[in-house]
Amino acid sequence: MIELRELRKSYGGVEAVRGVSFAAATGSVLGLLGPNGAGKTTIMKVLTGYHYPSSGTALVDGIDVVEDPLAVKSRVGYLPESVPLYQDLTVAEYLDFAADARGLEGAPRARAIERAIDSCGLSGVYRKKIEDLSKGYRQRLGLAQAILHDPPILILDEPTTGLDPNQIIEIRALIRSLGESKTVILSTHILQEVEAICSNVIILNEGVVAAQGAPAEIGKALKGEERIRLRLKSASGAQGGAVDRKSLGSIPGIRSVASFQAESPNVFSVEITMPPVASNTDAEGATAASAVDARGASTEAGEVIFDWAVAQGLKVLELERRRLSLEEIFVKLTSEGEGR
Amino acid sequence: MKNVLAIAKREIRSAFNSPVAYAVILGYLLFTGVYLYFIRGFYAVGQADLRSYFTIMPLVLAFLVPALTMRSWAEERRLGTYELLLTLPFTEGQLVLGKFLSSFALAAIALALTIPVPLAASALGSFDAGILATQYLGVLLEAAAAVAIGEWISSLAKNQISAFVGSVLALLALVLVDRVSGFLGAGGLVASFLNWLSLAFHYDSFSRGVIDTRDLCYYVSATVLFLYLAAWGLTRRKWS
Repeated sequence: MIELRELRKSYGGVEAVRGVSFAAATGSVLGLLGPNGAGKTTIMKVLTGYHYPSSGTALVDGIDVVEDPLAVKSRVGYLPESVPLYQDLTVAEYLDFAADARGLEGAPRARAIERAIDSCGLSGVYRKKIEDLSKGYRQRLGLAQAILHDPPILILDEPTTGLDPNQIIEIRALIRSLGESKTVILSTHILQEVEAICSNVIILNEGVVAAQGAPAEIGKALKGEERIRLRLKSASGAQGGAVDRKSLGSIPGIRSVASFQAESPNVFSVEITMPPVASNTDAEGATAASAVDARGASTEAGEVIFDWAVAQGLKVLELERRRLSLEEIFVKLTSEGEGR
Repeated sequence: MKNVLAIAKREIRSAFNSPVAYAVILGYLLFTGVYLYFIRGFYAVGQADLRSYFTIMPLVLAFLVPALTMRSWAEERRLGTYELLLTLPFTEGQLVLGKFLSSFALAAIALALTIPVPLAASALGSFDAGILATQYLGVLLEAAAAVAIGEWISSLAKNQISAFVGSVLALLALVLVDRVSGFLGAGGLVASFLNWLSLAFHYDSFSRGVIDTRDLCYYVSATVLFLYLAAWGLTRRKWS
């Protein structure tokens, strides 16, 4: 359980975090997303007791990070972005130090070390010196250190950088499974990562929250419209059934025509935007009910367009709802910020 | 205390896993040995007295100790492990103390390795074991103060080299400042203040085999002061 209230942090004269509030519950993975310098790392440093906030409060399991930093630190496992390791030590010695630091003793200590080594796949390099390890192994050792004491809170700053695709899949699976029983916060600028493992996302830009919610929701709330790509074929080139920009305006509720292209005299490739569908329409069970408005007419864009095309004597060759990817949302949000 | 020992253990392991500690200790033994046997001509002088051996210790420590302490914080900052240390459940005091203990232990090991020197010499004449013990106590106390100063400077420095140079300069200044008072004449207020500041001046009575509580107090309070400064600096950083 993590809670931030109006958190602000400035370094010198620069305010890196400007009033951020959010909460993360146990059993969830929260992704912090944002361009470099958005304040992700600063928030993590405050939550781990490395920096104190300039104002506002940060609570970890209900404990204020300033009032009882030691209690906070013992509940938190932290993987900093730079993956700090003592080059002179072996993997075994490093984990030994981490176990000492966490006050682990006896059988639980041995078990904890064994578990960390297993879940991070370090058994092959246990006796090796850290300076001889590859980037991937270092990253995994950093993670092993963070999860060693089975902390209720895990804070991971860009946990998958430097890993190869197989390792990324492994580590993401590990994080997902850890997220079932812990509060996990991770930062990243890899958007698929958020979609792959996070139950919630916070997009940060210039020290403020630009958007938050579940990865799927966040897209919908933000786009404010649906974008649909169509390929239409008019019945025959000679007759009046030809399509142009104007005739597309007769689609009920259409917002705009984003692009229009005639592939051949009677095949047209079109991209249009439609108003957002009421709610929860992401193709799951709830769809049918919510896609019908009060008058019983359909609000599902695909259906509207299909009906329109039939009425116009057009054939729909392709119809694709283009979900605004997190990537596009991200760019949209963060570039809007610059404009302001 | 367990935490302090965990930090110290980690430090000492790192030190002995790399060639640095061996090189520094070897260099120290080599230099003090050469000084005693060749420069001072211990056998040629024909006196059963190791005082000259111990009087140069403050000067030698001004180089030995920075070599041991330069890594303590500056290296952590370079490797980024500084962030790890400060997010593990340690207090600032424990961190500073753990690092102090490890550097001090290394200095003490170096010093312990000089014990064969008086042992070998003892065959040649009658040495006073009490004086010898006092001399060692003096060196240890001075080393403690020097380690505290070195650690504090390392906590301010950006890298090892500047930590080393800074500490050497600071320690040399503190060791040699009582020579300045010689020029000023012994009686003046300034001169006695300079003497009081000097690491070497307080060491003098130990090297003669005398334990003076004022000197004891000086070393202990200097150690505590600089360790406190280092810990205070760590805490302050969190707010900035």
